[in-house]
Amino acid sequence: MKVLIYILGTIALLALAVFVGVRFALLLAIGIGLGFVLERLGFGFAGPWRRLISERDGRGVIAQCWAIGLTALVIQPLIASSDSLIGAIGPVSLTMALAAFVFGLAMQIVLGCGSGTLVNAGSGNFVALIALPAFCVGSFVGTLALPYAISATPHQPVELANTLGLTGGLLLTLIGLIIIALLAYRYSTDKGVNRKLMIAATWVAILAILHLIVAGQPWGVVYGLGLWGAKIALSIGWDPSLSVFWSAPVNAQSLTSSVLNDTTSLTSMGLMGGAALASFTLMKGQPLLPRVQLWFYCIVILSGLCLGISSRLAFGCNVGALFSGIASGSLHGWIWLITAFMGSILGVRWRDYLWQRAQI
Amino acid sequence: MRHIAIIGLIISVFSLVSLDAYSFPPNPYQAPDPIAWGSKDGASGALCSFAPTDNSR
Repeated sequence: MKVLIYILGTIALLALAVFVGVRFALLLAIGIGLGFVLERLGFGFAGPWRRLISERDGRGVIAQCWAIGLTALVIQPLIASSDSLIGAIGPVSLTMALAAFVFGLAMQIVLGCGSGTLVNAGSGNFVALIALPAFCVGSFVGTLALPYAISATPHQPVELANTLGLTGGLLLTLIGLIIIALLAYRYSTDKGVNRKLMIAATWVAILAILHLIVAGQPWGVVYGLGLWGAKIALSIGWDPSLSVFWSAPVNAQSLTSSVLNDTTSLTSMGLMGGAALASFTLMKGQPLLPRVQLWFYCIVILSGLCLGISSRLAFGCNVGALFSGIASGSLHGWIWLITAFMGSILGVRWRDYLWQRAQI
Repeated sequence: MRHIAIIGLIISVFSLVSLDAYSFPPNPYQAPDPIAWGSKDGASGALCSFAPTDNSR
């Protein structure tokens, strides 16, 4: 069965290269690689935050800092030196910070962030399979609400390279990441680094750099999920011309093109495919349904909606804002990190409380 | 049982993508350069940090 999946995957990549374009096949391959690494080597974003908060295990956070730092070291000079590449530079605002807080909270309830929900769904996790459609709906709703959020509060994009120069911006990024890694190290009861996670982080950085080189823009997740929601809404009669977001030329173009032409859709599908490849044989015989009460699934759907809406209002999730935002030298990535972590502290407590009461 | 959920997910995604490709057929002749870096076909701009501006309204 596994050989069949590999053969089908290779055929799909070749067909994509021929019938859509080589760039899109490369992006799907990068997505598959990311999904495989995240699932097989256990690298993630929500999980390490949870382990730091509840178990005082900071090794996952140190690996995250390593991955972001390595990526920043390469992509900031690349973006500065090439007109064909752009960074994930989002604006800083009050609504952006509040939305990141909500995202941090909700991702601990679902036990999956943007990439985590896709990877968990790819590995057949039932909670993620329920949360994912809600995430897509929420992300679409977020695109409708975003123009109101932008007009309600001042939004100011701050690119460190523009303010401090390339060297100053990169140095500040790396110093910030080193400080966070040191704080995680000091707070940890289990000192040291996890070799497997550091290898995974290195692979994630390599694939994220390749993503920028191939796509011209950093790795993201949420845009694709919102696009899928918008396409479904379009098919049931929604008028995109009523939406400021979907009337913008770049988004209108995405809406009337195949998802096979959309960068974030391809890498997100690849994440699920890579996770499926990595986990397929391991999941045989594993129970599908966790033994929890029905109301817990309602909480999961609600959390999925919150993940979608908040990630759109926060200009990205853990990937687009935290990983790619910080690596690109965007201040909004740092604000996202701080407020989402505060939300996660609350989310970890809520999750434990709900999980204990939901057990059958 | 989880591997059945994986197969179900793959079939669902494949079906939805096929349906979308039928509605909006991709044109390989309009495909951008294989690699954005150094080419005239840069980023699409459709990314997570995108914010609609006054100019785009």
